[in-house]
Amino acid sequence: MTVTTDSRTDAFVLGVSGWGVLSPFGLGADEFTAGLRTGRDGTVDATALTEEPVPDPRAYGLVGFRARDHLGRKGTSFLDRRTAFAVLACGQALADSDLVVDDGNRDRVGVVLGTSVGSLQSTSDYSRDTLVQEKPYLVNPILFPNTVLNCAAGQAAIWHQLRGVNTTLAGGGMATLAALRYATTVLRRGRAEALLVGAVDEYTPQLAWAQHATAAPTTVGGEGGAVFLVEDAAAMRAAGREPVAEILAVDLGHTGGRTDLAAALADRVRRVLDQADVGPQDLATVVTSGAATEEQALDEVVGPDADRVAITDLAGNCPTAAGALQVAAVLAHQRGAPEHDGCLSLIVASTADGSVGAAVLKGTGRAARDHR
Amino acid sequence: MNRRVVVTGLGPVSSIGIGVDAFTTALRAGRSGITPIASFDTTGFLTDRAGEVHEFTPEAMLTRLDPADWGRSSLFAAAAARLALTDAGATDLPDRSDRIGVCMGTTSGESQVVERLTEHWLAHGYPDTPQRLARQLPAGRVAEAVSRELGLTGAALTVSTACSASNYALGYALDVIATGEQDYMLVGGADSVCRWAHAGFYRLGALAAERCAPFDRDRAGVITAEGGVALFLESLDSARARGARIYCEVLGYGLTCDAKHPTAPDATSVARCMRLAHQDAGVKPDEVDFICAHGTATPANDAAEYEAVRDVFGDRLPPMSSVKSMLGHTMGAASGFSALAGALAISSGFLAPTINHVTTDPAMTGLDVVANESRPEQPRIVQVNGFAFGGNNAITILGRLA
Repeated sequence: MTVTTDSRTDAFVLGVSGWGVLSPFGLGADEFTAGLRTGRDGTVDATALTEEPVPDPRAYGLVGFRARDHLGRKGTSFLDRRTAFAVLACGQALADSDLVVDDGNRDRVGVVLGTSVGSLQSTSDYSRDTLVQEKPYLVNPILFPNTVLNCAAGQAAIWHQLRGVNTTLAGGGMATLAALRYATTVLRRGRAEALLVGAVDEYTPQLAWAQHATAAPTTVGGEGGAVFLVEDAAAMRAAGREPVAEILAVDLGHTGGRTDLAAALADRVRRVLDQADVGPQDLATVVTSGAATEEQALDEVVGPDADRVAITDLAGNCPTAAGALQVAAVLAHQRGAPEHDGCLSLIVASTADGSVGAAVLKGTGRAARDHR
Repeated sequence: MNRRVVVTGLGPVSSIGIGVDAFTTALRAGRSGITPIASFDTTGFLTDRAGEVHEFTPEAMLTRLDPADWGRSSLFAAAAARLALTDAGATDLPDRSDRIGVCMGTTSGESQVVERLTEHWLAHGYPDTPQRLARQLPAGRVAEAVSRELGLTGAALTVSTACSASNYALGYALDVIATGEQDYMLVGGADSVCRWAHAGFYRLGALAAERCAPFDRDRAGVITAEGGVALFLESLDSARARGARIYCEVLGYGLTCDAKHPTAPDATSVARCMRLAHQDAGVKPDEVDFICAHGTATPANDAAEYEAVRDVFGDRLPPMSSVKSMLGHTMGAASGFSALAGALAISSGFLAPTINHVTTDPAMTGLDVVANESRPEQPRIVQVNGFAFGGNNAITILGRLA
């Protein structure tokens, strides 16, 4: 297929200035990085997460997570788990970055979060109440906003007082790449100066069973996610700030039901490498979501040289969390590791319905806090 | 690259008409799409009216999707997109399918699928969760349905910024066509009527029993509704080269976030959004000839919307109208239907009416509601307001091609 996109000539590179992450391997970039390096099993006993029956006894779950332990008691009692994750991960990313957010720029700092269905527990419980309450309308009005998919991004904005572009994108395993692509356009067009970009999801019996029913690559459930503070890398450098990583290119597409998923993804990988001006032989690491079709595409385009990591070992079958943790895993690999300066990584993702996407990341081997 | 972007195709699947001709006729006539709810059992509810699209027949409208495999919102989106592509006369573009992107908005995604799953879980427990329903659950399928129905291989994004989502999609399309990321975009939104939203709006005290009466003294709130809407966008050069009929140009847009309250609107943030949109479009307030209002008819929204308009426009308020008076609140499709009303105002020379209007709220001095009957006008510049839970404000500016 002919590459018609002439993106290399007008490349816009995202600079990551800080990040936050929630995973059983650790909360926050430093803890997560240290946790990953121990190489331990991240699964927990799922009965520690819910008293309901679940499809698999193990899960990559955040056992004992309580919003109030991290965010305080005030205002946290009505946050669902996903929203609390989002608020916390955004706070971590802001704290990890050297960007100062104050009244001078908070109109130009925003949030772009990925999701799949919002909080399935919140919506399903709400729907359930219309069936089991004495009257069908006896639902709790305070919880109504939790049924809307943009609840987490809206709360993150309230919590951190960010009045810039605030967007939620639904895409499951593709949501983080979609959010990065969207953020690239928004920043390039000057509609914001910094965006918290990422995705989170929660482990609940509803989501665990729904995922289980779709025959995901693993039966083990998962939750968590990550948020990255991204800016225009060139503008950062002009201001004397050095990004901790760069996202050189993000490209998305769809099979349109016309080709198979592996072929469509292989095509996108070729394009994204071309846009980033990177050859397959230059890649140190490739992170997949774990789908077999992704492996096929990579065999065709990238070959066996680069290390290949399937994110299912970090997030189980939770695609929304997995997509964000794919990026976090790459950043953790490079964090505080100067030997990985300039290291190039490829991230690929796909959905069962035909969305495909890929991104090229370049590490610097530094942690954001290094320059404090 | 900074290309001008125009709208060349419209695709409404609405309670007042399916397809641009039927929709335009109904819009001009001020027809109401509000009827007794048929999609769920309303026993026990105190109100039983919604804007359902009873005449929606996905099996007749869709060519490639099997309706049994998709939720109702995705089917609305796919059907609307097919209508828009056909209306644009762009069905000869499949060879360029990679240059056609999709961006659809939704508030609740496949809310009816969540309800079916919940009923199943309540009756049978979690094990044996039906695969067919679980597969239909992801909200991202709303855009993916469009890609699969039309065979498009460009990026497919689903924006889920609640009730301003279609305006987000329209703005995003402007950006990606202007920069050359895509050459064509199918954008819009879709949502389905569901029990939980009906209950939730009622308990917020924001649900009207009989009629939606935006900016009226006696307005009582929203009527929940559904539908799908799509617009086909391309660069001005492309439209001219293929001799396409141009409805309007997309001049610019603005996004702000209140960062204040999950449901209560914030007039200051809305006013800032209007100013950003005007600045982006390169227009001054006194050049705006018509505002397609968010106009939900809740006391709080309409008051905040008026306050913001007053703040930005001063004493000279352009005529304002809310299509929600006819359609009800179609959630993620709402600002897309408003954008259609804006595009048709420019191309067909009429301001869509706000029906059910008896007495303009006396607190809204100087407000010019297009009350009950459409008004023949030739607006040059139209502002389309979209606000949402989460404080997600999105405003687009449409213009007659100059």
